[in-house]
Amino acid sequence: MISRRRFLGASAGGVLGALAASACSTAPSGGGQAAGAKSLRVWDHFQPREDLHKKLFADFQKSSGTAVEYTVYNPNQQGQALQLAFGSKQLPDIFTTAGVKLPQARLRKDGWIAPIQLSKEDLAAMPQDAFLNGFTHFDDKLYSLPMVSFRQYGTLTWYNVELAEKAGLDPDRDLATWDGFRAAAAKMESAGGDGVSGWIAPLQFAERMGEHVTDLAMAAGGSGATDPRTGEYSYGTDPYVHAIEFLVSLKKDGLLFPASSSLDARTARARWSTGVAGLFFDGPWNIGVVKDQFKPFVDKVGVTSMPSSEAGRPIFVYTPPKAGDYCFAATSKQPEAAAELLKLFTTKEVMLAETEQMDGMPVDLSLVDKANVHPTYKTAAAIFGRQIKLRPAPEVRNPGISEVVAEMKQIQPDLGSIVQGVLSGQLPDARKALTDLDRKLTAERERAIKAVAAKGVKVAAGDWAFDNWTPGQDYGRDKYKTS
Amino acid sequence: MNGSGPRLGRNRLWVWLFLTPTIVLYGVYTIYPVVASYWYSFVEWNGFDAAKTWVGLANYRAVVADPLFWNSFKITVLFMVAVVPVKVLLTLLLALVLNSPKLPLRTLFRTAFFLPVVTTTAIVGVVMQFVFDPASGPVNVVLRKLGVVADGINFLGDPKAALWTVVGVYIWKWFGVTLIYWLAALQTVPDEVYEAAAIDGAGPWGLLRHVTLPLLKPFAVIITLLTLESTLKIFDLMLTMTNGGPFYATEVVEIYIYRWAFAATVPQLGFASAAAVVFGLFVGLIGVLQLLGIRAARKARSER
Repeated sequence: MISRRRFLGASAGGVLGALAASACSTAPSGGGQAAGAKSLRVWDHFQPREDLHKKLFADFQKSSGTAVEYTVYNPNQQGQALQLAFGSKQLPDIFTTAGVKLPQARLRKDGWIAPIQLSKEDLAAMPQDAFLNGFTHFDDKLYSLPMVSFRQYGTLTWYNVELAEKAGLDPDRDLATWDGFRAAAAKMESAGGDGVSGWIAPLQFAERMGEHVTDLAMAAGGSGATDPRTGEYSYGTDPYVHAIEFLVSLKKDGLLFPASSSLDARTARARWSTGVAGLFFDGPWNIGVVKDQFKPFVDKVGVTSMPSSEAGRPIFVYTPPKAGDYCFAATSKQPEAAAELLKLFTTKEVMLAETEQMDGMPVDLSLVDKANVHPTYKTAAAIFGRQIKLRPAPEVRNPGISEVVAEMKQIQPDLGSIVQGVLSGQLPDARKALTDLDRKLTAERERAIKAVAAKGVKVAAGDWAFDNWTPGQDYGRDKYKTS
Repeated sequence: MNGSGPRLGRNRLWVWLFLTPTIVLYGVYTIYPVVASYWYSFVEWNGFDAAKTWVGLANYRAVVADPLFWNSFKITVLFMVAVVPVKVLLTLLLALVLNSPKLPLRTLFRTAFFLPVVTTTAIVGVVMQFVFDPASGPVNVVLRKLGVVADGINFLGDPKAALWTVVGVYIWKWFGVTLIYWLAALQTVPDEVYEAAAIDGAGPWGLLRHVTLPLLKPFAVIITLLTLESTLKIFDLMLTMTNGGPFYATEVVEIYIYRWAFAATVPQLGFASAAAVVFGLFVGLIGVLQLLGIRAARKARSER
């Protein structure tokens, strides 16, 4: 017979033991791999490429003996995961910085990332204009490997081919201007019948709505959040106000899919691909996701440029140079294995295979023509080749700017929230809200410049101004020398 | 007394042994975060940098100066004021009905009303998005079929409707808990009192007014305060149903804190912690009210 006391003692011990065991088992297993067996942890947010990457990593394990623990994150959650991983010293060996809005210059200073040990020869197959000190490189050392081109935007007009036909539309012609877009949406709505709307939008995803408006403002002659010539914030200018008014007019005409206010990009895309709306603004990855997840819809997908504010106005979208995507953790103990793995992505064959996943545009846009992709993806690449121009980046001229960017606190309501507020009717005066935003951002930048300057970094508001910037042209590396 | 010394010691050992898991878990998951949030509220930290800078009361000044904080505070209080009276009164009425021995299928009804309580809140929130979908949600389909509205009502996307929709769902979701409190309270009314009152000629209305309700008064205080406090914890439901939108129309303080701590482009953990501490003090105030209320209720009961 077990005495009551002994039984209690044993069970109490058991409970404690179980607690200890469960505490251990919830820890990520990556750090605790058995000694000897090499393994790399990789985190990224390239969902459409997941299958390809799994295969690449499995082959890598066979050839090198190094196992790869691969996790694909929703970009929204990856920032939080990285934040916690860094805090608990468990950063994966290789990761993309999706969701981390600090400049990589700052991440490097804070001990997140270290140089990737790939030589110039290793990178020879990649287009060399993808590399830039202050973005992919620091002190001529590679810190992040670019996987996605800066030559893309997220506001292409995607249309439902079937509805466009029913409505008798010639999409390239009829969707070319804002007025045309509105008229086409109305025609698609009435041609579609009950339950079909003209336009669907991810209104709950404020950041994406802000991106749409910034792109549309550039299609109205704007030059982005700051004017490159003066460096001043320009949300309160006509192009932004008019772009928002354009979206409001779509809603006023009853063309907006009613449930849009509860949709983010993923759910809006899912609803759009059921045929409930004719038009949808999205990036080139739209077709990749549709092909992966909504296959029956893939033949009904058409794409054209975003509309311009008025007929005959050429569209130029100014995007800044882009930092690379894959980074190498400064805490990793396996720089050689990591470099070996990342080297895969620098080969022509893998770059072509990546392109065929139809995610973000490849660094080498010319690959799209050779790749086996949906025709809309080729159309998108052609549009980007025409419309996207490289924008000057103050960080290139003065690396101290990344300190200011990191120091600046977010201003609320930001552009995306203002768009939400105007569309829901809570902000009656868009121009006033946008001008307020300019004012607050300018004040915050001033404060950040002062704070950074107090630490001995030389920065000034004038660093954002480029008097030799010409609209409609790429701001190439040579231009920085004369600015 | 001589022999009880070692036994007392051994008992104490057992007491502590059994308390250890609770103390450790409570310490790690409750006490430590509270203390840490106080510490964070005095520093500036974005969660990405290794360095935290001591900024004194600057975060508190910034929180108090932010109109969106007060907006979220207002919405939290509005939510509380809207939910508590409706929920407390409706549940009382239903409890009185369900407590009647004459009602058939009592257990079935009780279970039915309690079922939403044990459903995961986040799932309820997501499902409710579909239920209230202005295009194809069942609520709007019915309203349109009945001819009440021509177009669907945008329950969650219209700033005038969103908060009230969540209020409704919240009351439905947590109805069962308050109901159980009332049913338990009703059990404490002794049958003899009813019998005596009935003999004295009291009808059902008289019984309710002069016997049941006066005896429930101390419970009413406690149940109201418990409900009051529970309405401050609506993060999961609000986040999944509206995410604080449209344009901050349903942003309660918890979502405000979350937004700055995790959803901001560059998180401000110090600022968010300061907001959390200010809100914590408010919750603490409600807690003190609760304590006083319970004490008053006890006193009322013992005087009876």
